Amino acid sequence: MSTLTEVRIAAVGDIHLGEDVRGEYRKRLEGIEERADVLMLAGDLTRHGTLEEGRVVADELRDLPIPVVAVLGNHDYHSDLQHEIAGELRDAGVMVLDDDGVVVECGGTKLGVVGGKGFGGGFAGKCASEFGEREIKDFVAHTRYIAESWKMALKETQADRRVVLSHYSPIKETLEGEPLEIYPFLGSYLLAEAVDTAGADLILHGHAHKGTEKGLTPGGIRVRNVALPVLGKAYAVYCLECGE
Amino acid sequence: MEAPQYVAARIQQALAEDARTHELGIHVDVRGDQLFLRGQVSGNDQRVRLGEVAHEAAPDLKMHNEIKVVVVNEPGEDEHLD
Ligand SMILES: [Fe+2]
Ligand SMILES: [Fe+2]
Repeated sequence: MSTLTEVRIAAVGDIHLGEDVRGEYRKRLEGIEERADVLMLAGDLTRHGTLEEGRVVADELRDLPIPVVAVLGNHDYHSDLQHEIAGELRDAGVMVLDDDGVVVECGGTKLGVVGGKGFGGGFAGKCASEFGEREIKDFVAHTRYIAESWKMALKETQADRRVVLSHYSPIKETLEGEPLEIYPFLGSYLLAEAVDTAGADLILHGHAHKGTEKGLTPGGIRVRNVALPVLGKAYAVYCLECGE
Repeated sequence: MEAPQYVAARIQQALAEDARTHELGIHVDVRGDQLFLRGQVSGNDQRVRLGEVAHEAAPDLKMHNEIKVVVVNEPGEDEHLD
């Protein structure tokens, strides 16, 4: 067998499925094994985070011929059923990350995937800080906790290539097109800082439907906003070189 | 009379919070007695529901539902990151 020289990552976020579109997304996944080695889903898989919608998503992803890794998004948390939805997805064979990591075997390559929903707070120089009212401190502390978890998970993940999968954005470049006023609700630079510190080859996120596909962290890690309305197609495919 | 900005904000809030829609990214504009909805959603039913909720929130305005349904196209070209 020849050694894989690259890993092909199919990625999409914000598919926002419901009963009325059952079966349609699955059609678009036909033949994905020809195009990609792994599928990554960047959250907002449902509209309202109901169990019914969670089951539609699970059915669309069930028994795909390639490994599937997913994180949830804010919509998937709306009905406080995120654990149940994650359970449905896991039963369908999807690896669901919750501020932790997993290693996927792609040919001869070990691909580490670390991430979770992420959270907001804004971007360096124009962001919330842990100061003042309890509610603001809790908001920022939540993002800080997530960033810290990702950093630890990245450091612990032994792999040839490492990808971070998030719903919220780590940088503002991929938000371009969204109103500036809502940037603090779309992501946080703390996520980028954590990943820059621990190191990774690619960061995937969704959430910003009107944003832009391509950006870069301050440390030079490629960032891709894979929200379905941004991509305008069923999924994007990113190929990471793997060397020997 | 309520300022159009507040009317638009109230409609947007309704689209986000109404259990039938929960749609956050819809652009709402009010001009005189005209109401414009713009944005992208994942299915036609959702577009119709958004129109209904917006209409209920401001029944006196003439609504133009310009929301588009995202067409899920075939995956295109790969990007090689080197
Ligand atoms: Fe979304
Ligand atoms: Fe989102």
